[in-house]
Amino acid sequence: MRKKVSVLTSLVLITAMLLSGCGSGGDSKSAGTTPGNASGEKVKLTAIMTKHPLTKPLAEMEWLQAVEDAAGVEIEWQEITTDYGQKKGTMLASGDIPDLFIGPNVITDADFAQFQGLFQDLSGLLDQAPNVQRMFNEKPETKLIATQPDGKIYGLPKYQRFWPASASRQFINQKWLDELGLQKPTTWDELYDVLVAFKEKDANGNGDPKDEIPMDWPGGIGGYFNPAVLLGSMGITLSEGSSQGYFVEDGQIKNFLIDERYKTMVAFLNKLYKAGLINPEVFTHDYTKYQSIARGEGDTAKVGFTWGWVASDRFGEQLAPQYASMPPLKVSADYTGDLSWSYDHYSLNYGTNHVVMSAKTKHKEAAMRFINELYDPKVGMQVLFGSIGPNIEDHGDGTYSVLPPANPEMDPGTWKWTSTMADHGAFYIPDDLQLTLGKDMQEVLGQSEPLEEALKVDLDKDVFPGLFIKYSTMDNNTMSLNNTNIMNLAESTFAKWVTKGGIEAEWDAYVKEAQKAGITQNLEIMQKYYEEYKSKK
Amino acid sequence: MQTRKGLVHAVTRDYQLWIMILPAIIVILIFNYIPMYGIQLAFRDYDFSKGLTGGEWRGLAYFQQFIDSYLFTDLMRNTFLISLASIVLGFPAPIILALILNQIRRKKMKQLMQTTVYLPHFISVIVLVGMLNVLLSAETGVVGHLMKAVGLGHINLLASTGTFIPVYVLSDIWQHCGWNSIIYLAALSTVDPQLYDAARIDGASRWQTIRFVDIPALVPTIIILFILSMGNILSTGFEKIFLMQNSLNLPVSEVIATYVYKIGIVSSQFSLASAIGLFNTVINFIFLFAMNTISKRVSETSLF
Amino acid sequence: MDSTRMSSKGAGNGSHGISSGASSGTPHIHRAGPRLNGTGPGLPGALPPSSKARGRARLNGKELAFKITLGLLCTFIFLIIIYPLYFIVIASFSDSTLVATGKVWLVPKNISFFGYQEIFKDMRIWTGYRNTVFYTLFGTLVNMLFTLPAAYVLSRREFRARKVIMFIFVVTMFFNGGLIPTYLLMKDLHLTNTIWVFIIPFCVNIFYLIIARTFFESSLPQELHEAAVMDGCSHFTFFFKVALPLSKAMISVIGLYYLVGHWNDFFTALIYIRNNNLQPLQIILRDILLSNQVFAGGAGTGGDAGGYAQRYADQIKYGVIIVSTLPILMIYPFIQKYFEKGVMIGSIKG
Repeated sequence: MRKKVSVLTSLVLITAMLLSGCGSGGDSKSAGTTPGNASGEKVKLTAIMTKHPLTKPLAEMEWLQAVEDAAGVEIEWQEITTDYGQKKGTMLASGDIPDLFIGPNVITDADFAQFQGLFQDLSGLLDQAPNVQRMFNEKPETKLIATQPDGKIYGLPKYQRFWPASASRQFINQKWLDELGLQKPTTWDELYDVLVAFKEKDANGNGDPKDEIPMDWPGGIGGYFNPAVLLGSMGITLSEGSSQGYFVEDGQIKNFLIDERYKTMVAFLNKLYKAGLINPEVFTHDYTKYQSIARGEGDTAKVGFTWGWVASDRFGEQLAPQYASMPPLKVSADYTGDLSWSYDHYSLNYGTNHVVMSAKTKHKEAAMRFINELYDPKVGMQVLFGSIGPNIEDHGDGTYSVLPPANPEMDPGTWKWTSTMADHGAFYIPDDLQLTLGKDMQEVLGQSEPLEEALKVDLDKDVFPGLFIKYSTMDNNTMSLNNTNIMNLAESTFAKWVTKGGIEAEWDAYVKEAQKAGITQNLEIMQKYYEEYKSKK
Repeated sequence: MQTRKGLVHAVTRDYQLWIMILPAIIVILIFNYIPMYGIQLAFRDYDFSKGLTGGEWRGLAYFQQFIDSYLFTDLMRNTFLISLASIVLGFPAPIILALILNQIRRKKMKQLMQTTVYLPHFISVIVLVGMLNVLLSAETGVVGHLMKAVGLGHINLLASTGTFIPVYVLSDIWQHCGWNSIIYLAALSTVDPQLYDAARIDGASRWQTIRFVDIPALVPTIIILFILSMGNILSTGFEKIFLMQNSLNLPVSEVIATYVYKIGIVSSQFSLASAIGLFNTVINFIFLFAMNTISKRVSETSLF
Repeated sequence: MDSTRMSSKGAGNGSHGISSGASSGTPHIHRAGPRLNGTGPGLPGALPPSSKARGRARLNGKELAFKITLGLLCTFIFLIIIYPLYFIVIASFSDSTLVATGKVWLVPKNISFFGYQEIFKDMRIWTGYRNTVFYTLFGTLVNMLFTLPAAYVLSRREFRARKVIMFIFVVTMFFNGGLIPTYLLMKDLHLTNTIWVFIIPFCVNIFYLIIARTFFESSLPQELHEAAVMDGCSHFTFFFKVALPLSKAMISVIGLYYLVGHWNDFFTALIYIRNNNLQPLQIILRDILLSNQVFAGGAGTGGDAGGYAQRYADQIKYGVIIVSTLPILMIYPFIQKYFEKGVMIGSIKG
């Protein structure tokens, strides 16, 4: 009851604000170049930013101060690095929210659907934000990402252009191969032989034949840096890591967790595990340990074959030169089908709902001015890589380059995350911006080259456009419930089959269980939305 | 004359008692009872635009949804087993520890021991689980090495369905046993030394003193705490189990709390979350109530 | 005051307690007064039972066996508890990679204090300390003011409403309206974003209330109250002059529990506080701690953010524990002494 009243009053207030807002907007235009209201005072706004834990206080970011000045606003930031989920729930349900939210998917499409009226529809305000409009024009898919089924736009996406098409690269210790006189494997059988040699022949040459870990991954099934990419050996293209198994093949939504090819892969992993070729702690180690082990001891590497973002991050600067990135393997020497990989282009280069405005904001104009500034290409690059000066060099001829870390002990990635909002910010980097990337990104792109061939996938038929699809609240709830059940089953059976075997005998019963857990229902729902999406396109 | 005086006295007496308890009652009524209208949410749809209690009435639909869910039996079994193991092993542990500490005669030793056993309580769950990972690792951990040395072979304590509950419960005891024993130590400190003297005169050994003096002194506290612990039969913690979960122990480590977290309740499914919470609460309360009634009959000690 | 000379009544009750315990097993215990074995210092007149027992132990094989068992048991408990704690300390300044791979277990390796530097570099820590100390002290005071009188009242058997009130209280241990209605209430009462949200809302913990009540019930004999009433003693006087002084052990336990509860509380601030200047220490430490955990997420998807900081992640993890715990650890010894020094009830009776 009380709630109702307060919603009503706030609606009245909003309308009032809108009216007065229009008035003052006219004023500021007539005042000419200086933004902000006529008296030159800055408009005060509140905002939440879900930033990366490494990121320094927003108040220390030079570019952000400049943006706030340019937009004539002064923002009181609440910077959140942990437990955002918990905070968000109460905040939204109580309607007690700040003027702006910035962060990766900071408010989800499901939230928009559930908390009707809490967030500002920006579609009517876009004419105040030419930079955003420019992004929508140059990259029409960004508008697609932003638009809800009812045509409203609550959250604006980001586009960062430079990132590779896949998050996972496949690494093998080239030094070990050379020492042992072996070639890079090209098939699963060759991989098996190489890993056996790694294990038995003291590949790192430190005199202890037992300390090599031939193969390792962070644990579990699906997601980035996971053996699920081996499904590419049989032609499956994962979409954004397929952390819950869903992929598209020839326009058909499928889940590899109940695919015969998954069975083949698990049997192969079991063969590796039985031969002692996989880290026995693969299902129990935490991320710290997983990373630590690959960093070896001094010049002595420990891990032979694994997946990661980039060699210097996965193995440390000291060992990285020992490793080479590899193209996908073939399932067998006589396999003639396509090879594929995990296609993560969308999730790496685009992001949904990176900036959201409250419907209760008293200063919509000012907030929009601020958003517009963020989407300025020159600002965008600073949001991502840091301020011009300490982080980016302006060559004065319209070209820029990302500078190496000021602190020589720090790697470029950490430097970037420390200096600025980075990937968590809201921004647009147009394709014609001339920016030379730092050493870390160049390394990533270089190590992605072996995958290029496999990543030439049919975007229309073999990649799930998850970023562009908006589910209804009900379907969303059903799917998340089913996925929890499915993953509970899949995680435990996968671990069991890899470590103890038995997939042959238990497969049929497992598939039935998975269907009972809701996999068929989810496939139907996703297929429906997928076709709807394609028909609109 | 006397009765009237007694009556007046009783009134003033009660009047004082009311004054003493009133602040607590007010605080409880305001902060615990006023928000209770929110319980309705378990029976209603959550509709933001209509307010917390404005959604459509759905009766027991959300309870039904939980009970019908694919993992329901697994969740109930796992939750129940973990709590039961925690109570069976974890409840007596601080009592025994307190009795042991109470037997130490040298003052310095006693203080050292007491301070030591209570330290682990302050370790955060994240660090505790991180430490378990490092120390219990079959490959590189101290415990792994120890087990190999003793010839227990190569058991990965963190990765099997059989060892999850023992590791969970024992590490819990390690962490909180000392802390929980404080209350028993305090209770033991109220024992009249005359009792010990009397026991000595009766020729009682120290074992007998523990049995006939110390333990009886703890009984009221034990009973009350036991009743309360039965009221937690379906409440396992969330964070520790969640952090200890891995694919290999998942069949025994998925409990109601972690499941609720995973179905994405944090962000949206308020009604289902409320229903699951209420379901838990009601069962817990029934256990507490039953235990309280039994205790009232058997020992004359009870909560209410 | 601390006389161990007992009145004949006390002795009689004492032996009665033993025999009844032995014969029936019913928990009919007479708690005549708080006292531990061993007497307070400086009382030459009182011969502690322990010294007598010690004297006899030489002759008594059973006693010797008991002592050996006790010694072994204590050593075992001590080692099993102290080792992981020792591990935390050495891990807080050893190389994290070596810690994670099990290379550090007895002596620290590649010592560096980067973790502590990182923690103390964060200026918010000091605000956090200040806030937490304030919330803890003030909060505990309010807790005690609300809890102890209520517990005393509920322990009085002649208080008619006790069962009903107790039931009303216990219900709240189980049923609650959930976070959202509670949040709305706090907002309506203008408690969000103020220090009061740490102090007032849940200042009565029913669990501790029950413990306190049980204590009052069992350590204040009915006769004592009757005698006091005879002397014209009101409830107020009895509570302050008799009940509280006799319950120092319990008060210190409850106080400690409340104190530590406030010290470790991060949830209240997480939900109700947005102002950075009001954040308690635990929120800040949790931020620092979890920050290092999420390198996992940060490293892969958005560019590598691990390399440099990864090496010290564990240092921070373990260092945080030490930074957050040391101050509260120093309190314990002060409280501990109350477990040893109860007040003899006999002296009051006398």
